[in-house]
Amino acid sequence: MTNNALWIILQKLRVPLLVIIVTYSIAILGMVLIPGMDDNGNVYHLTFFDAFYFVSYMASTIGFGESPYAFTYAQKLWVSFCIYLTVVGWFYAIGALVTAMTNKTLHFEIMKNRFKKQISQLQGKFVIVLGYSYVNVEIIQKLLENGLEVVLIDEDENKINNFLLEDFSKYVPVMVGNGLITETLKDAGIMRDNCYAVISLFKEEDKNLRASILTKFLNEKVHVVAKGTIEDIANSLLDTDITKVINPFEVFAKRLDIALVSPHILLLENWIYGNSKLNDKTLFLPKGKYIICGYGRLGKLIQTRLEKHNIPYVFIDAKRVAKREMVQNEQFFKANPDNKDLLCEVGIKESIALIAGTSHDIDNLSIMITAKKLNPDIYLIARENTMKEMSLFQAANVDWLFMIERIIINKTSMFLANPLKEHFLRLALKQNEIWGKMLINRLRLIGNNPEIMSLCINNKDAYAIETELQQGIDVNSDVLLRSLENWKKQHKAIPLLLIRGEKTMLLPHQVSLKLNDELLFATDRDSQNEIELIASNIYELHYAMYGIEKQIGIFNKLYT
Amino acid sequence: MNLQKVISGFFFIFAMTINFGFFYGDIAKPELHSVYELFAALVISLISTVLKIGDKTQLGAVLLATSLVADIQLIAAVTVWTVTEYLAIVDVEAFAAIISLSGGALLANITSVILYIGETLKSKR
Repeated sequence: MTNNALWIILQKLRVPLLVIIVTYSIAILGMVLIPGMDDNGNVYHLTFFDAFYFVSYMASTIGFGESPYAFTYAQKLWVSFCIYLTVVGWFYAIGALVTAMTNKTLHFEIMKNRFKKQISQLQGKFVIVLGYSYVNVEIIQKLLENGLEVVLIDEDENKINNFLLEDFSKYVPVMVGNGLITETLKDAGIMRDNCYAVISLFKEEDKNLRASILTKFLNEKVHVVAKGTIEDIANSLLDTDITKVINPFEVFAKRLDIALVSPHILLLENWIYGNSKLNDKTLFLPKGKYIICGYGRLGKLIQTRLEKHNIPYVFIDAKRVAKREMVQNEQFFKANPDNKDLLCEVGIKESIALIAGTSHDIDNLSIMITAKKLNPDIYLIARENTMKEMSLFQAANVDWLFMIERIIINKTSMFLANPLKEHFLRLALKQNEIWGKMLINRLRLIGNNPEIMSLCINNKDAYAIETELQQGIDVNSDVLLRSLENWKKQHKAIPLLLIRGEKTMLLPHQVSLKLNDELLFATDRDSQNEIELIASNIYELHYAMYGIEKQIGIFNKLYT
Repeated sequence: MNLQKVISGFFFIFAMTINFGFFYGDIAKPELHSVYELFAALVISLISTVLKIGDKTQLGAVLLATSLVADIQLIAAVTVWTVTEYLAIVDVEAFAAIISLSGGALLANITSVILYIGETLKSKR
């Protein structure tokens, strides 16, 4: 039985229905048996139909009057008894029906059925999001923009109600339920072929581990994006083989690392995430003594990066403890960092930069204000944990603000919605400053904020190239870059990445294309059109390849 | 012993026997078939239907289905009776229709009782 809702109503109505049947039949039988008198004084008996008709309108308190003839006293006596019997039974039944309709379980079942139906109607790839939060809403927004469908599960009914008030470009099916239970995940369609990924970004990271393990057993083809900052959990997450672990602290530490040696690569990353434009200034992070407030997961990651570049540092943390040698070398102070005397003691005057990296936003702000007073030239790096206090941080004149939630949003949505971009970024971050500078300079020729487009050599996106390749003709990737006005010139586009199965090529140049190759370009709007035209139109492709118009083969065909 | 089982068993079998009581007799002779018996058959059949609601097993579903068939047949018989009586066309054909409809309901009731007995025998307790 799939339709539980109907069964719940029927089961609740069992007793009321019995009451109605029994009271009606008693009343009807009595009416039939008791003799009446017609206009002419003859004795008659009501038929069963007459009696049923009369009892029906009596019980429902409609009351059309005595029919077919005025009742005798014997009949009236019976009717007055029946009124109380049937009317009470009838009201009881209606009351029970209303109660059953407002039943919570019933509502839940109806919602669940609707949810399941909506899931089965999803056509494209869809993503299951666990939990309603600011971060998840932003991610959902981005996924929808990129043509993915989204399903949301949250345990809290109030949160789901809030979610329904949000404005999305597409309808997002929602359900109240615990997303960490197999049954709920199955309802959400995790076993379906078009289920693409599960997003689990709970603060309690063991929940994320649970979600990814469940997913692994339910459907191995589904990706999981999970937050994992605690080492043990992050490792277990990786062991499931299907999980992309998001660790915002690691991301920041890596950026710090890159910013120290290759700011152009950092600019490239920011541009790809859409955080900044290409004409933003690129500056090396100052080298000198660093003061870092907060020695937790983030602090330890920063420490390894600073040691790698031989940069002197001092950690201050009020709660945590460090190794004895660090304390002895005056690299760690166990104290409240928001303290003038302490900051002076650790040498803020001669320090070059300060990282306010505690998990409390207000503490971070306060530390920055104190630090700026003591040393106006200091380079301030601040950690912002939630997006709620964004305006405060913007007002605080921070040199470099990194938002934990923003990092999570960007990472997750790019991994799911633009896997090619993510791939490119991963490779680009391993390159050096010279490479980054070269690429940035080339990109700046296109514009301040070039668009990124992807192209897959298949029948849908690149019909013309596919046809040529099927005929065994070699097509060079540079053909795509030729201008359609003059094939000897090039339009503004830079191929960033080529993926062929497992193989990847950064900045491909003069490569023979193969079927199912995936390409990523940086372009402006015009050259995007040209690439699409060359890829899909056989006449344009012919011109781009040979510099002459393709002859329409109508006469050739007639004679060959 | 389970009181609920006694009550439902009682009504399932009662529905069948009383239906048989109405059905038994020459199909063309109205005087052999009491209208009160038809009324009782319908009421008992309705009650046994309600008692069958709520069992979500496969067997419960089939039991409910047979009971619904019996209800529909009996309601049809009652309707035919009422209509013919008021139009004053109580002829042999109409009356035969009433009796054969109730005969159909009897078959459905018998099926239902057989299933019910089968389930009872299968049960270990």
